[in-house]
Amino acid sequence: MSLLRRLFPRTYMARRNLLRAKARSGLAVLTIIIGVVAIASLGSFGVAFQEAQTDAIGGFGNELLISPGEDNGQLLDERDRRDVERLASGKEVIPLLVAQWQLESTGETVTVRGVGNPKALYQIREGSIPDSWRSGAIVGSEFAEKHEIEPGQSIRLDGRTYRVQAVLEEEGQTSVANPNEAVVVPPGEIDVDGYNNLVVKTESPREASALADEIRANLNERKERVDVLDFSKFAEQFDQAFRQIRMFLLGVGGISLLVAGISIANVMLMSAIERREEIGVLRAVGYQRIDVLGIMLAEAMLLGIIGAIVGVALSLLATMGINSLMLDGPFDFRSATVMYMVLAFAFGIGASIVAGLYPAWKASSKRPVEALRG
Amino acid sequence: MVVVEATDVVKEYESGETVRALKGVNFEIEAGEFVAIVGPSGSGKSTLLNLVGLLDTPTSGTVRVAGEDIEDHSDRERTSVRKSVVGFVFQSYYLIPTLTALENVVVPCLLDRNPAEAEQRAVDLLERVGLGDRLDHYPDELSGGQKQRVAIARSLINEPDVLLTDEPTGNLDRETGERVLDEFDRVTDEGVAVVTVTHDEYVASFADRVLHLVDGELGTDAPSVEAVGGGVFE
Repeated sequence: MSLLRRLFPRTYMARRNLLRAKARSGLAVLTIIIGVVAIASLGSFGVAFQEAQTDAIGGFGNELLISPGEDNGQLLDERDRRDVERLASGKEVIPLLVAQWQLESTGETVTVRGVGNPKALYQIREGSIPDSWRSGAIVGSEFAEKHEIEPGQSIRLDGRTYRVQAVLEEEGQTSVANPNEAVVVPPGEIDVDGYNNLVVKTESPREASALADEIRANLNERKERVDVLDFSKFAEQFDQAFRQIRMFLLGVGGISLLVAGISIANVMLMSAIERREEIGVLRAVGYQRIDVLGIMLAEAMLLGIIGAIVGVALSLLATMGINSLMLDGPFDFRSATVMYMVLAFAFGIGASIVAGLYPAWKASSKRPVEALRG
Repeated sequence: MVVVEATDVVKEYESGETVRALKGVNFEIEAGEFVAIVGPSGSGKSTLLNLVGLLDTPTSGTVRVAGEDIEDHSDRERTSVRKSVVGFVFQSYYLIPTLTALENVVVPCLLDRNPAEAEQRAVDLLERVGLGDRLDHYPDELSGGQKQRVAIARSLINEPDVLLTDEPTGNLDRETGERVLDEFDRVTDEGVAVVTVTHDEYVASFADRVLHLVDGELGTDAPSVEAVGGGVFE
């Protein structure tokens, strides 16, 4: 006697019943597979799309850019800096100087930023700079490409020679103090009395937004000393837009799973009608209603489990494709993607069981006499 | 010992107007008796069989099977009683096409705690009806007579007190039918009452006793060759 029959007789009978109409069961499984793949792949696509876009635009929501307010002069002074640092309580406040210098090799004007601790603001791609940075220059990635500059070479700006020590990573377009086409030099090189900007780095857009409000409230009480640019509102809108895109994609997936559920219900109803006499015999020989219900639900569940397993396997392949196109290689799975897989698996099985409930209940609640009447 | 006892059994169906299928039927069936219920179509034979088989409840009156009055039983309790005391053999066999002969016989006990024991009994029963070499055949690999013998084995797997059969030879030729009837004869020898519903006078002639049902009422007794025991007919 087979183990399945001894341990799970209902499942054994269910399996036999499904195998009886292979094509029909196969088509029902196919609809579940499509539903599961739709949910899992569209979910993963949404995640990968958002990650890829976020990488391109930059994680801008966490930074504040503070400039002189309209009642202030051209520059922020030491007092402004101290006040901001006090409010920022421990968060890094990076002073920024800006100048327009002439590049002697081509004669064009380039933006030069004076930054004391560039590592706090930028990612270095090539070369290195010492912790206490006093001399030399760092160039942005586009600047380096345009002028074919590598670390170790020298450039002449406004009559002075700078040794290029490092090249920066390409930063997203919305990065504060975008360095891509700029040159960064130690702040002492730029001869101004004060700061053009202060950049404050926070942990999250929410924190950035709160700090921005606090700085505005404290410093601009009587006159507009500072102008605080915070990107957190944009960041939130951005997140919301992606959430909506994901919901839309999930909705599409959900509809296909709904269709799958209807198809399962249809298959089960047909099968219940076809097997009416057989179910009557089972009831006559002593099967309780709950037994018949159990057999029918086991059938729906088997369809769902097979569909969900195959569906998730296919979704993994599809996600690997999406990952390699949009992220860093096929195995760059994000946790949200894994969540969608689990969700799709659970929904696949859940939808099948829910779809099987009505036909199973209908089959089991027929009185044996009626079922046998033929 | 009386295994089936029907007292003033009335059964009505609602289908637009009330149809009285049984109009107060009384009878008793003893253990080991072979009783045929004969009558024209629509006389209430199947209704009576369903009541005795605990598949249905009477509108009024009582049906006792193996001492159990099922009047106040829930569907669940009726099903349990049915499982332990009644066996069924149908005209169209009603074997489950996806299960082998052996599995079909085990079906009533498949959900029990110890189906292995039932399986051994099923093998014995199939051997007894002459199908020891057909255990793993599927119903579509068996002839009509073989299918009906599988059905008989199935009806005996739960060691019932009464075996109910509905036109058991209706789909069989005379020779195969006789083999099936012989089988019933052997069953009665073991103390199991066999109640059969039939049109066929030939089947009735095998019975110990014949109950004529006309328009929902039991008619006069028409005893067969070797009537056994004293039935109560009205």
